[in-house]
Amino acid sequence: MIGVLLLALVGVWLVVNFVQGPSRFLSVVIIGLTNGSVYALIALGYTLVYGILQLINFAHGDVFALGGLLSTTLILDLFEVDSSSATASVALAIGGCLLVAVAFAAVLNTTVELVGYRRLRNAPRLAPLITAVGMSFILQNVGLYFWGPEYTVVDPLISNDPAFSIGEVEVQWDNLLVILLTIPLLLGLTWLVTSTKQGKAMRATSQDRMASAMVGINVNRTISFTFALAGGLAGAAGLIYVLQFTTIRFDQGFQLGLIAFTAAVLGGIGNLAGAVAGALLIGFVEAFNEGLSWLSPGSDWTRSIVFAILIAVLVFRPEGILGERTPEGA
Amino acid sequence: MSEQLATLKSRWAEQPEVVRRYALPAGAIVLAVLYPFYVDLLPGFPVTSIAVVMLVFTMMALGLNIVVGYAGLLDLGYVAFYAAGAYIAAWLASLHFEDISFHFGAVGVADDAPGIHISVWLVLIIAGLFTTVVGILIGLPTLRLRGDYLAIVTLGFGEIIPQFVRNADEAGIGFDLTHGTFGINPIDSIGFGETLGAVGLPDVYRTSSSRAELFYWTALALLLFTVFCSIRLRDSRLGRAWIAIREDETAAAAMGVPLMRTKTWSYAMGAFFGGIAGAFYAVYKSGAFPADFYFQFSVFLLCMVILGGMGSVWGVIVGALILSWLDRAGLAELGKEFGDLVGREIDVPKYAFGIYGGIIVVMMLVRPTGLIPESRHKIEMEEGVHDTPLYDVQHEGPGTGRIRGDG
Amino acid sequence: MADDLLVAERVRKEFGGLVATNDIDFAIPRGSIVALIGPNGAGKTTFFNMLTGVYTPTSGRILFDGEEIAGKPPHAIVERGIGRTFQNIRLFQQMTAMENVLVGMHSRLSAGIVGSILGLPRVKREESGANERARELLVYCGLPKRHEHLAGSLPYGDQRRLEVARALATDPKLLLLDEPTAGMNPQETADFTSFVRRIRDEKDLTVLLIEHDMKVVMGVSERITVLEYGEKIAEGTPAEIRANERVIEAYLGRGAAA
Repeated sequence: MIGVLLLALVGVWLVVNFVQGPSRFLSVVIIGLTNGSVYALIALGYTLVYGILQLINFAHGDVFALGGLLSTTLILDLFEVDSSSATASVALAIGGCLLVAVAFAAVLNTTVELVGYRRLRNAPRLAPLITAVGMSFILQNVGLYFWGPEYTVVDPLISNDPAFSIGEVEVQWDNLLVILLTIPLLLGLTWLVTSTKQGKAMRATSQDRMASAMVGINVNRTISFTFALAGGLAGAAGLIYVLQFTTIRFDQGFQLGLIAFTAAVLGGIGNLAGAVAGALLIGFVEAFNEGLSWLSPGSDWTRSIVFAILIAVLVFRPEGILGERTPEGA
Repeated sequence: MSEQLATLKSRWAEQPEVVRRYALPAGAIVLAVLYPFYVDLLPGFPVTSIAVVMLVFTMMALGLNIVVGYAGLLDLGYVAFYAAGAYIAAWLASLHFEDISFHFGAVGVADDAPGIHISVWLVLIIAGLFTTVVGILIGLPTLRLRGDYLAIVTLGFGEIIPQFVRNADEAGIGFDLTHGTFGINPIDSIGFGETLGAVGLPDVYRTSSSRAELFYWTALALLLFTVFCSIRLRDSRLGRAWIAIREDETAAAAMGVPLMRTKTWSYAMGAFFGGIAGAFYAVYKSGAFPADFYFQFSVFLLCMVILGGMGSVWGVIVGALILSWLDRAGLAELGKEFGDLVGREIDVPKYAFGIYGGIIVVMMLVRPTGLIPESRHKIEMEEGVHDTPLYDVQHEGPGTGRIRGDG
Repeated sequence: MADDLLVAERVRKEFGGLVATNDIDFAIPRGSIVALIGPNGAGKTTFFNMLTGVYTPTSGRILFDGEEIAGKPPHAIVERGIGRTFQNIRLFQQMTAMENVLVGMHSRLSAGIVGSILGLPRVKREESGANERARELLVYCGLPKRHEHLAGSLPYGDQRRLEVARALATDPKLLLLDEPTAGMNPQETADFTSFVRRIRDEKDLTVLLIEHDMKVVMGVSERITVLEYGEKIAEGTPAEIRANERVIEAYLGRGAAA
């Protein structure tokens, strides 16, 4: 099968690159992990909302961007920390920003659902989708209005210094922080979805909205809660992105959102573990493409490659890596 | 006053059907044809050169209407068709391919000029056909996907193709296909040439003193052609099949409508008109520039269709004229007036897409059938829902269009 | 058997681990009215869906008029002569009754893109002929004044009739009716039952219906096949089925007493 052959070729390419520069390869892997973590947080939002409403929330990426933009304002104007600040104030700033960004994005996402999608819940499938596109543009322009068309820059608050090394490979503090921030969020999410009442309500509503309503689940509240959760994750992702990359712009949400959505589909839309797995994979794809030196297409081609992956998955294996095949016609 | 209105109304109803059906459209066409002559009398109305662009965008919106409005396929990558048409015009009617010299019916070009120079009239047709092929190719992977996935994938195409034309030069792909970010210009002019020029028809538009008017009337002719085709298609066997697919594609298939084939036809038709419009626009601007092709443009066209009325030819025309006017002139003017009112300077055109997004959201929430709904919707809104059933409907019942489990 | 319009041999459908239909053998004699019954989840609609191309059988053959149709797409099966109605009405809500029926004729008409745009005389003739036939079908199915009415605005009973009109427009040899009398009151049900017989007789059709209403089943079918948990547990005339213990057991006494 062509698929197996392609994967084999990719495998060969990876091996050659590894052999040619193992430490470089490993640092690229770490970059992949870092990028993948940010994508994971955004992808989870897409998959949560898709699971419960069968809606691709186009505006989700823009919630992420607004969360990031807000974080820059907090860092620059409220906490006023920069690269010379003491570690304690930086830690305080990050903590504060996290809380505010998450809360803001959660509220924003919930509002978007309430205003834009709730009335269209029983409309033909096309309607909320079109509305989501409109919402996305509105949010982008909000970002444009308040933060302008240029990149907003913050000082690198986390140093590039290596936190520790594995042999020759350095793991820098900023990469480490991304991973360290992401893991508790993922664990928290898992706990929430599997062990709490709200989480069970979410899962039930994803499976069968009418039946859930009939057993007494408040569907509207559950959906709002899902959007809040998704939004919160996106807000956190926005902050983490700003910490890692130090700049953000109003229109980056849409781009990154698309990549994150591809990740969600790759892993299996509706499947939380799949979203994370897909996101890490896409993170690796991006990092390998831009970081490896032997026969690498380069950053101009990243978007095309990701897009090609999206098409391939949707055409050949729409349920993704971890998803389940649904019966045809169902 | 209302008495006079009532008399007018009854007088109108008495007219033979032919009059009633064709009077309004005929009047509109006459008004449109004469527009360049009286536009100066109307302050605030777009000048002829802007009107040309409005007509081109309207044609594209009608093309998109066939895909989104008739067949119900959310195509977010229509800009790809626009780009395809424009670059065909650029390849076949300019100095771009300087290693070849091929002339065929071109006007206003020196006989020894390098490059391919085919008569622009022919190029328009070729652009339409070429873009149709592009549409069919894009359709192959995308049309078997479900509605929301189709939207995302077409969105992807809408992003990739502009990126491609920006990079398809020596540095990017090894040979100069699109001349990268510079684009290809100039493009030959449209015209009727010397022989017909002798009879009084304009020989070369671009050198004529009534350049804007000539382009305007040609654009109008192309638009009327698109309108004609749209209406004919809507009322045909294929049009019914499209609307059936839009309503319920599983039921449509169960009634004998071949899904892939029929959907591909809608793409093909949408692409056809998009390609012609794109080629014409490139000729008008005398260039194909990557800066013109950006993903948001597809959403701009979508907004026209939503505002006007999905599936409604008149509605889409109205929606397109309004939005293209806003885009070219309206937003700037409104921005100034609003700024004067509020006492602050607001660069409204900067937020154009936020406004278009807002229009989309508001329309979907408040009036999803559009300003001028498709005639079917109108019947429903006037007639209302008939007798309610006397007993509970056991299953999902009419009007939800949802798929229920089987067995 | 000699003149079976449809023959299904060992037709099996699995969804992941679930076996919806388990090697079913089933034949429909030409010109007959056959009913497929069974408790919910027995696999009846799954079987229907395999006949109409919505599902592909995991294994087995389905021969329609001698030709293998298993796995063919729905529209190809309609072209070959199988028409159907749906369990939960799936009319084109925003289209008029007339247009719904015209869509049913899609595979029997041939106007193409160019012909439609140019308005060729051939296309015009085809359209007016089609309109004529559609009007006749609507009258035949008891909807004489409804053609310009939107399907979504019709009363429930009329919608059911429209579904049948639309299915008949596909010019089928075999008509599949999926729970056609669901939601009807006794009078409407009786009317519909005689209507089914009339269609079979006058239009020279074969009819297969899924039904839960035993009055209809016993009243109109010439042969009944009973499914339970994806297997055929009985087959025979109404009298035989009424007396069949396994069937009675499967329904827990329901229906047979109706």
